[in-house]
Amino acid sequence: MPDAASEVRQSIRELLREQQGGDRFVSTVSDTESLRQAGMSSNALVALLVAMEDAFDFEWDDDVHPEVLRSIESLADHVVALRG
Amino acid sequence: MASYEELSRLDMTYHDDVPRIPTREGVELYYESRGEGTDITLLNTFFLPVPAWRVYTGELEQHYRVLSFDLCNHGHSSKVEEEPTWEEHAADLIALLDALEIESTYLVGLSTSTVFARDVALRYPERVKGLVLTGPAFGPRGMRRQRQIQRAWLRTLESHGLEGLYEHLYPEVFSAEMNEAIGAPGFLGFRESFSALATVEEMTNGLKRAMQDKSNPEMLARVQAPTLVVVGDDDFLLSPTGARELAALFPDGSCEIIPKAGHIPFIDDPEGFQSIVRKFVEEVESRA
Repeated sequence: MPDAASEVRQSIRELLREQQGGDRFVSTVSDTESLRQAGMSSNALVALLVAMEDAFDFEWDDDVHPEVLRSIESLADHVVALRG
Repeated sequence: MASYEELSRLDMTYHDDVPRIPTREGVELYYESRGEGTDITLLNTFFLPVPAWRVYTGELEQHYRVLSFDLCNHGHSSKVEEEPTWEEHAADLIALLDALEIESTYLVGLSTSTVFARDVALRYPERVKGLVLTGPAFGPRGMRRQRQIQRAWLRTLESHGLEGLYEHLYPEVFSAEMNEAIGAPGFLGFRESFSALATVEEMTNGLKRAMQDKSNPEMLARVQAPTLVVVGDDDFLLSPTGARELAALFPDGSCEIIPKAGHIPFIDDPEGFQSIVRKFVEEVESRA
């Protein structure tokens, strides 16, 4: 059985796949890799953050630490933490 | 309401295939040039390098040759030990214009680089056809307020790094309209690109240098070039009234106010801003 974090990571990958129009980016970036260093633009990151609000039913807050936005893993951990 | 659609197309990557232009010993400038016709040169601040302009000048590029470049010690231009003065930046600009065989040009300054634009117009009047001062860093009486803000930004940068500086300047520089429109995802996402724009050292050096800038009405009265002051009416640094008073200090000054726009008004209204610049250039050109 996949744990909650792994399900969220998979969902984030789905969002990225839809946003990027295919597997090209998703298939090359690992869960722990820096999205920025993997070549993700800030605009794509903004689009992902908006899509995550809809997909996981929460709203981002300005106080979120930069490390949260670093990777698929850190984004997923944030969603799981919000769910308590 | 502004759509901020251009923000979603912002691409901060540099082009590797552009040859740099040597301007003096040890200094080569990164530049981009698009379009044909009357020359318009964009002057960068320490915060906005060449790539940041691209999505905001498409209309101008249909009618003019638009040149942008990174200042020495910033972006992809050469790095030197000591932060250049505006005089040295001006000499670099003139060398760049010479290399590109540009006899004279309109200068579009933004925030800090409006001081640079003014100084180039004073020092090399024959090279400047007109000035567009966007969100000027100086007001009609001087620039004490600007220096105080820069000092506060510098202290935040020194104590809290680039992310702290971003949080400090974001609500000041960007309009309330944009802040509400792009929300927390926009704030967080663009924090990432701001952190990649420049190093702490580049920002520190730029802010320290900018804090030495001066302005007074006598300097402005000596500017021969037609001068257009453009501000957003939500500019935190200069009010519409102040902008009109500032424009009146230039021998050939005029002023345009962009509704609901902030300190970088072309982000809020790219179409309106380019239309204002075009109207100004066409009016000045029609005098010839």
